[in-house]
Amino acid sequence: MKTDKLIEMLARGTTPAEKPHWKRKLAITLFVGLGVGGALVAIGLGVRPDIGAARMPVMWKTLFAAAAAMVMLPLALQLMRPGRPLGWRIGAVFVFFALCALATIIALIGEMPERRWEAWMGGAAFPWCVVLIPVIAAPTAALLVWLMRAFAPTRLAMAGAAIGALSGGVGAMAYAMYCPTDSVAFVTTWYALAIALCAALGALIVSRFLRW
Amino acid sequence: MADEAALRALLLKGLAGDEAAHRAFLTEAAALLRAFFRNRLRSRPEDAEDLVQETLVALHTRRDSYDPSYPLTAWMYAIARYRLIDFLRRAKKRDHASLDGIDIGEPDPDYEARDAKRDVTALLDQLPEKQRKAIQLVKLEEKSVRDAAAETGLSESDIKISIHRGLKALMRLMAEKGAT
Repeated sequence: MKTDKLIEMLARGTTPAEKPHWKRKLAITLFVGLGVGGALVAIGLGVRPDIGAARMPVMWKTLFAAAAAMVMLPLALQLMRPGRPLGWRIGAVFVFFALCALATIIALIGEMPERRWEAWMGGAAFPWCVVLIPVIAAPTAALLVWLMRAFAPTRLAMAGAAIGALSGGVGAMAYAMYCPTDSVAFVTTWYALAIALCAALGALIVSRFLRW
Repeated sequence: MADEAALRALLLKGLAGDEAAHRAFLTEAAALLRAFFRNRLRSRPEDAEDLVQETLVALHTRRDSYDPSYPLTAWMYAIARYRLIDFLRRAKKRDHASLDGIDIGEPDPDYEARDAKRDVTALLDQLPEKQRKAIQLVKLEEKSVRDAAAETGLSESDIKISIHRGLKALMRLMAEKGAT
C-alpha cells in the first residue's frame, strides 16, 4: 500500500478524539491497586493484632509510603506519554532517597549504641518487607501496565522503573497494616530499599510488558 | 515542510474532528518521518517507508497521548524513535536480518517509491472479523459510521471502538510482519 493511500485511510471519517482522562484513570488504578494490596495483606499476612494501640506508627508508616508514591507519581505521569521532559522529577526521587538515608542516620544516632542494630534491623534476622512489599505491589504494577499501554510510553525501561517504584509505594502503604516494626530507621532503610527494588524489577521485567 | 506551529495547529484541529486537517497533518508528518527514517536507515529505503507507515498508524491511534502544553515535534519524534528502536530490536532477533547497512551507506538518489515493502491490505485480512469489517466499511468503502452500524447490526460506538482497536492491532501486525 502506498503511504498516501494509508494516510487517506487513516484520516477518513475522523471524529473528535475522546479526552483520555488519564488523571482520573490513574487515580482509579492506584486506588484499586491499594485495595487489592490491602486485601492481600489482610488475607495473606493478617492485620497486626495491636492495630488499635498502634494507630500512630501504622499511620506514619502509611504516610511515609504515600509520600514515596507521591514522589514517583510525577515521573510516571511524564513517562506515560511520548516526548515529555523529566527534569526536576528525577531530582525529586534522588532527594527522597537522600532524605531517607539522612533520616536513618539521625534516627540511629538517637538510639543507644547497643540498641542500634535492633532498631535498624527491626529485631528480626531478615527484613522481610524487602521481599513482601514487591509481592504486594505486583497487582498495582500489573494494573499500571495495563493503563500505561493505552497511552504510549516510549522510554520503556524508565517507564517500567517508574511503575515499579510507584506500585512499590502503594504496596508499602498496604504493608504498613501488617508490619510489626515501628522503628524509624527500619522504615527509612528497608521500606526505601523495597521501593528501590521494585523500581529495579520494574525496569527489568515490567518494561517488557510495555511494548506496543 | 510545515513547522512546529503549523503542524501543531493541524493536529489540534484533527483532534477536534477536522478530517481535512488531520489528513494534512499526517501528510506533513509523513514527509518529516521519511526524512527521519531515511537518514537513519540509509541503505534500506523500503524499510524506512515501512517505518513511516507504521509510525503514521501509531501517531493516528495514539494521537490522544499528545498534550498541547508540550511541543508537538518532541511528541512525534519520541514515537518515531520508539518505532525505530523497536524495529532494530526485532531485526536483531531475526538472525537472518542483517543489520549491515544500517546507519551507513549512501541514500539511493533514484529511490522515489512511496510504497512500502509490506502490504497493509493483506495485513488487514488478519485482523479479527469485527475489526476488519469495521475498517473495511468505514475506512476503505467510505461509508459513514452510521451506515456501517446498520449494515453490521453493531452499535455506532462499537464500530468506532472496533476501528480504533483494529488500527492498533494493525500497527502491531505491521511491526511483526515488517522488514525481513
